[in-house]
Amino acid sequence: MAKTIMVIDDSATMRLSLKSALELNGFKVECAGDGVLALNQLKIGVKPDLIITDINMPNMGGLEFIKNLRALPGFRFVPVLALTTESKQEKRDEAKKNGATGWLVKPVTGPDLVKVIKQVLPGA
Amino acid sequence: MNPLLEQFISESRESLQGIGEKLMQLEKEPESSELMTELFRFVHTLKGNSGLFDLPELTRVLHAGEDLMDAVRNGEVAYSPLLADRLLDAMDFVGLLCDEIDTNGSTDAKHVNNSVRLADSLRQLIVVIVPTTEGASSAVVNELPIVPEQPDPANQLPLSDIPEEISMAAYRAAVTGKPLHWLAYSPVEECFFQGDDPFYQARQTPGILWGDITARTPWPKLAELDPYCCVLDFSILSTATLEELQEYYRYVPDQVRIIPVPGSFLILPQGEPNGGPVYEDFVADALKMLHANNIAGLTHATRSMLDVSNPNLWLSAALRWLLLVIELEPDNVFVCERILLSLRTMTPPVWHELAGGCDTRINGDVNSELPHNLAQEESEPVPAMLSPEVTALIAAQREILSLPDDIAWLAGRLKSVAASLSGCLHAIGANGIIQSLGAALDEALAQRASAPLLHWLDSHFKPSVDAAPFLPQSVQPATTTQIGQSVEEVKYGRRAEDSYSGPKSIKVDQVKIDRLMNLIGEMVVAKNALPYLAGRAENVFGVRDLSREIKSQYAVINRIAEEMQDTIMQVRMMPVSFVFQRFPRLVRDTSHKLGKEVNLILEGEETEADKNIIESLGDPLVHIVRNSLDHGVEMPDVRRALGKPATGTIFIRATQEADRVVIEIRDDGKGIDPEIIKRLALEKGIIDNERLERLTDQEAVNLVFAAGFSTASVISDLSGRGVGMDVVRTAIEKVNGTLQLESEKGRGTRIRLSLPLSMAVTNVMIVESNNQLFGVPIGSVVETVRIPRADIHTIKKNQATVLRGRIVPLKPLNSLLGQHVPPRANEEDELAVLIVSLGDESVGIMVDNFRETVEIILKPMTGVLAGLSAYAGSALLGDGSVLMVLDIKEIL
Amino acid sequence: MAITFKKDRIVFSDVASGEDAERLLEWLQKHPKAKIDLSACTHLQPANLQVLMAAKCSIIAKPKDKLLADWIDSALQLI
Repeated sequence: MAKTIMVIDDSATMRLSLKSALELNGFKVECAGDGVLALNQLKIGVKPDLIITDINMPNMGGLEFIKNLRALPGFRFVPVLALTTESKQEKRDEAKKNGATGWLVKPVTGPDLVKVIKQVLPGA
Repeated sequence: MNPLLEQFISESRESLQGIGEKLMQLEKEPESSELMTELFRFVHTLKGNSGLFDLPELTRVLHAGEDLMDAVRNGEVAYSPLLADRLLDAMDFVGLLCDEIDTNGSTDAKHVNNSVRLADSLRQLIVVIVPTTEGASSAVVNELPIVPEQPDPANQLPLSDIPEEISMAAYRAAVTGKPLHWLAYSPVEECFFQGDDPFYQARQTPGILWGDITARTPWPKLAELDPYCCVLDFSILSTATLEELQEYYRYVPDQVRIIPVPGSFLILPQGEPNGGPVYEDFVADALKMLHANNIAGLTHATRSMLDVSNPNLWLSAALRWLLLVIELEPDNVFVCERILLSLRTMTPPVWHELAGGCDTRINGDVNSELPHNLAQEESEPVPAMLSPEVTALIAAQREILSLPDDIAWLAGRLKSVAASLSGCLHAIGANGIIQSLGAALDEALAQRASAPLLHWLDSHFKPSVDAAPFLPQSVQPATTTQIGQSVEEVKYGRRAEDSYSGPKSIKVDQVKIDRLMNLIGEMVVAKNALPYLAGRAENVFGVRDLSREIKSQYAVINRIAEEMQDTIMQVRMMPVSFVFQRFPRLVRDTSHKLGKEVNLILEGEETEADKNIIESLGDPLVHIVRNSLDHGVEMPDVRRALGKPATGTIFIRATQEADRVVIEIRDDGKGIDPEIIKRLALEKGIIDNERLERLTDQEAVNLVFAAGFSTASVISDLSGRGVGMDVVRTAIEKVNGTLQLESEKGRGTRIRLSLPLSMAVTNVMIVESNNQLFGVPIGSVVETVRIPRADIHTIKKNQATVLRGRIVPLKPLNSLLGQHVPPRANEEDELAVLIVSLGDESVGIMVDNFRETVEIILKPMTGVLAGLSAYAGSALLGDGSVLMVLDIKEIL
Repeated sequence: MAITFKKDRIVFSDVASGEDAERLLEWLQKHPKAKIDLSACTHLQPANLQVLMAAKCSIIAKPKDKLLADWIDSALQLI
């Protein structure tokens, strides 16, 4: 069964880029424009096997989203990858502390994406 | 252009506009951290997106912009009009590049210089924090990968836990040059709540040979167990390289110890120590053969000994190891000797103690993997091959340093050069020489001269001959007066005073678009007359050449007409926001009235479809949303009692899937109870008892679409107006849409509408009846048959025939249209019957005759004619006459 | 469903998730003698493994994947 991945980013370009790369690799993709929209979708029944979230977004950023996510029943253990820009090790540590599983460095390429997903998502 | 690049360009334009607006607002409120954050996000997003493409000129400027805005956001740099000017200039440059990409699909290489200069002008505004020793080391500590430990710990590893066959495989791998690592992975207790699955992580370890799981603490009673507190330790033996393992465990570097294991450490025979005599003779003989280099004899003797020994004995295990060592490393006398000697004591050799003075090969393979420490990085040379960007950047710095030193802001200039170079070193991974750069800067500052830095630059980067001069001539005399502005600003400005290229879109009255649509419709029909004309030229007038010319002209006109049609279709596209925009108010007012709390979420408002489709969506969507508000979402106290959030959610999302637009409406209300539906359907006579029993829950739920169905047990003044979901279905089907309903009792309802993107050309079959022509959409025609009058039976005034064993009811088209003229038969007394499908059933429509099928552009009925539900619309035919197209579902 | 609870047996299939561990623990507290069938199991999130380890469960069918079976043997100290 195809695994569902949720992509959260305020940039439509980034969403489109990740969505097409993921779909090309056989994943089902749900997109959201910020943390609030993503939480809404989760509350209404979207059940991703993995979540990829940008950090810096309007309304609700990635870190706050992850914190909220972990408090949501059914999403305590779902792997979350934070999208970061290069060279910000503190951001990565902060993401991990807030409940992220790992991170992806922008710009993300298809093979990298698949490699990381296979690593953190059993059965992918 | 690929859709991603297209998306990037359009989003970039929006961002650029946003940046412009925010900067304007900042002029008024320079202290607003909110504006600053938004501004940063715009630049940050732009830069992140540009990285998706190979656009180094764009990325460089945006990267500098991002760093600058980051510093501003963090209060390290104050906002100033100068900053705004430079940022606007940089963004104008970005806009210019976007335009170029839009037209050419790429950017010209000539922009490199300007890009470097603009990036530099932005970076100069960032407060220079020279990488001090402290700063450098802290950065390194943060980025430090998992460092393998010294080989010493290897002797404390429980290597004897590894089964013999795996140890042997590992040893074999080590001898053939593969690295061997022991991983001790101790996930933190809360790791599950970070989405970690350490077991999966361990299982997938690259090069894994063997793994083991142990608990760190004794297990409590089940009642006291917290399954989500991770107390597992994983031990793994792997043949992957250190780099691979570091990369693989990069998310949990602090939870993993990687210990190199010398291959020989694994030579640990295991087995039953008692039960076999110690063959002192064998050991002595074997040692003799070993020292005489009689490998064949040694092998033979060992095999014979092994043959007569019980394989479970310690002795046998040692002999097997001996054979393996002889096979793989026949000249490793030391190890063979140790194994033989160990037979006397039945205890494995203590390899690490022996390692010190003897054969380096015991731990020889470890030395190459000593941890990378900083000392090594100090001596790391600058990479020989530098990218053109780095070369350009370095050349620019050299150029700046060559300027005269007699200026007041020399210190600032020196610092900015050092900062640029330091960033550059980071980028190319030459962190080792950053410290010496710091020293050179200190010296330069002390001397108030560029020379020390220039000297440093020359000693690390050879000046390249062909490096283009990077500064415009006008700058050389340093005529500027502003501090920090050592480089002349270059304007890409499309400032207020500059000529302004007109907006890219214009507003057009809908009527004009409709007129255009009609005209192209006529054009398509008119061009269809040409093939007839060609036929006549040939057959009637006998001019074959003319006929051929008409045909070739037709091909040209046909192509143009099709393209025109496509273009007009695109012009007619409208975003669904047109329909969506009324919902926030509707939901707010209606939920208020009902005393419910509802949160509405709209997504995909920008999705586009043809104007007619969008317009036809309005009423059905309103109906669906009202239904959700009315019957779906429960009252707040009911929801609370059910353990749901008091506020219900209605979620509407539009997406494009291939050539359809899909609208999904979901709510988290009480859903539809299939049992209630079944009962109601039975009461209303929509289904009978027999059908009821065969009905699945999904089918039952779909009964809400059946005509005359309304699920409200109490009719509210809002949606229970006697019209039910069947109206929705009809409206959607009218524009060739489909809809699906899924509902889970207690959880909510999901309706999915799928509609075509545009109302393109429709294929219709022309039929003749009572001296009139009618069109029937080809989609609803199953087949055409001619039925002898004798085969038509009349049952209680209704006519029917038997077609392939099935009874098909027959209806004359004339009477369906209220004309009391019987259908005409042909000479063989057969009647023309059009078989159409109506849901699962087939119905025959009796007409006078069938004609050809044609492509038409269906125009919906307007004005007073709109009330004639029998017609789906009208179309113009090639001869200028109007064809009425029937709506089969309506007339039946 | 990745874990099916039968009368005297607990059958794992595919991937048992972290959320599953709670129910597994509850069930094992009520049915401490339940036997574990892992034959169709391809992975189990380690919270589940911890429950199996703490409950000292007896495995009646090992996973088909030999490597996974070895891991589980090591965890439950069956070697």
